Amino acid sequence: MEYKRKVKGDILIGYIFILPTLILISFIVFYPLIDTFYLSLFKTSLVLPQPKFVGWKGYWEISTSGPLWLIIKNSLIWTILVVIFQFILGLSTAILLNKDFFGRTLARGVVILPWVMPGIIAAMVWRLMYDPQLGIINDFLTRLGLIKHYMAWLGQPNTALFAVIIAAIWKGFPFSTVMYLAALQTVPPELYEAAELDGAGGWQRFINITIPQIMPVIRVTILLTWILTFNYFELVWVMTKGGPGKSSHIFPTFIYNVAFKQFRFGAASRYAVVSFLILLLFSILYIRELDKRGALD
Amino acid sequence: MRSTKRTKIFSKTVIYLLVILLMLFVLFPFFWMASVALKSPNEQFKVPPTLFPTSPTLVNFFSALRYPFFLNYLFNSIIVASLTTLVVISVTILSAYSFSRIKFYFRKFFLVLIIISQLFPLAAIIVPIYIIISKIGLIDTYFSLIIAYLSFTVPISVWLLRGFIAGIPQELEEAAMVDGCSRLQAFLRIILPLSKPGIAATAAYVFYVTWQEFMFALTFITTESKRTLPVGILDFIGQYETNWGNLMAASIFVCLPVFILFMILQKQLVAGLTKGSLKA
Repeated sequence: MEYKRKVKGDILIGYIFILPTLILISFIVFYPLIDTFYLSLFKTSLVLPQPKFVGWKGYWEISTSGPLWLIIKNSLIWTILVVIFQFILGLSTAILLNKDFFGRTLARGVVILPWVMPGIIAAMVWRLMYDPQLGIINDFLTRLGLIKHYMAWLGQPNTALFAVIIAAIWKGFPFSTVMYLAALQTVPPELYEAAELDGAGGWQRFINITIPQIMPVIRVTILLTWILTFNYFELVWVMTKGGPGKSSHIFPTFIYNVAFKQFRFGAASRYAVVSFLILLLFSILYIRELDKRGALD
Repeated sequence: MRSTKRTKIFSKTVIYLLVILLMLFVLFPFFWMASVALKSPNEQFKVPPTLFPTSPTLVNFFSALRYPFFLNYLFNSIIVASLTTLVVISVTILSAYSFSRIKFYFRKFFLVLIIISQLFPLAAIIVPIYIIISKIGLIDTYFSLIIAYLSFTVPISVWLLRGFIAGIPQELEEAAMVDGCSRLQAFLRIILPLSKPGIAATAAYVFYVTWQEFMFALTFITTESKRTLPVGILDFIGQYETNWGNLMAASIFVCLPVFILFMILQKQLVAGLTKGSLKA
């Protein structure tokens, strides 16, 4: 009897404690999200301050005329390249930093620094390094004989997006390193010892033991970096503003541009809904991955 | 026997070479930021650029501090980041505790709701938030930013704190409750004091993400003197010529607080960020 009352009281406290959090995110995340769907059915512009209902026609319009497909293409190139290279770089540096060497603790601390650097600062520093005249990158490449003339890496449509991608890889890979390093430390050393007795070489041990053992972490990390990269705004915005032309616009920068430079809230919301739907799949996969591993219990 | 010794030396050498290469790649942009910040006004416009400053000077740091509104930006950033952190921690410590210790109906559903809210593109909700905030007349105030920042700091804070609380042995609370403590007392007297390191790490992380937030700060603040640092330092980029020396010196000022925070709390932060997703 006494116990039952205690459990009931517990449940009540459980709900009371989560209430403020739920109220907050309902007002500032879920309500705005629903509102975005609603706004996406209207047309608004500076000359048309009263929103005009256009329904699904607005979606038809952006898919047949306008840069939607370019934005999707850019966003996919951006996200896929950044995620792949952060995975490769993250895993290989984690393996390196898991080896025994003098100064390892220091190296592990230093490697995280790009990730700690505020995004806006990273964007500025890379912009300066890419500068056609004052940039060190042009100077290095000419010294190495790789280019003959100084290039405006951020000012040309065919290089701008890729130049920002390199900066994004540098900025974000330490997160993957940290995740994989933590995962590598959970692999039981007995597995390697047994494999060594069986005569397995380094590469075989990597493929047959390391990879399968840390596979769940690889999945979670790739999904998480996909989501973070897809949503990343300031690096592209500060380095190129999406330009030249629209050559380096990705969803977040383009939505921002349409909403707050052109004040077309309706059109911006339509792009926002599309980007939300593209991301939804990855969010669901991520949650399922967490659930499978009991991280939600 | 001998050959294995030789391969060992060889692989050790390869490891050190790779580590050095990695450190160069990681640190170069930091080095470049410092190098340009220490260059004299003449030297920073040299083509090709010099790798090291020929006569290092602190003049850029003093100019950055004297820049109009720079101290305002700094002050605004500190206020907004600290207030956000305070609100977020006090709200989420409760829900994090509830999620990690109390069994109630739909617990998983609510938890998923909170995690999924962190996965939305912020660009997808900025327009409605902007409209709401203008309607209640808060555009161009600290509150507009604090409200907007709650949208991405609350979920991550619940997630981190929940991980830290889960690491506190449950027996401590149970023993206290057997001794007649109520659930609330157990939370206040046992969990709260014991989760101090976790709270510190989470607070540092929330402070860090709000300190550098850019998109909302760019949109919601229109008066120059009310801007926060990340948007404010964009002023250093001139229309025709940018004073990179001043800009890099100002950038170092922006980096310092988060680097210091990170150095102090590195262990807890890394543990917190990896734990949630590593739990097997």
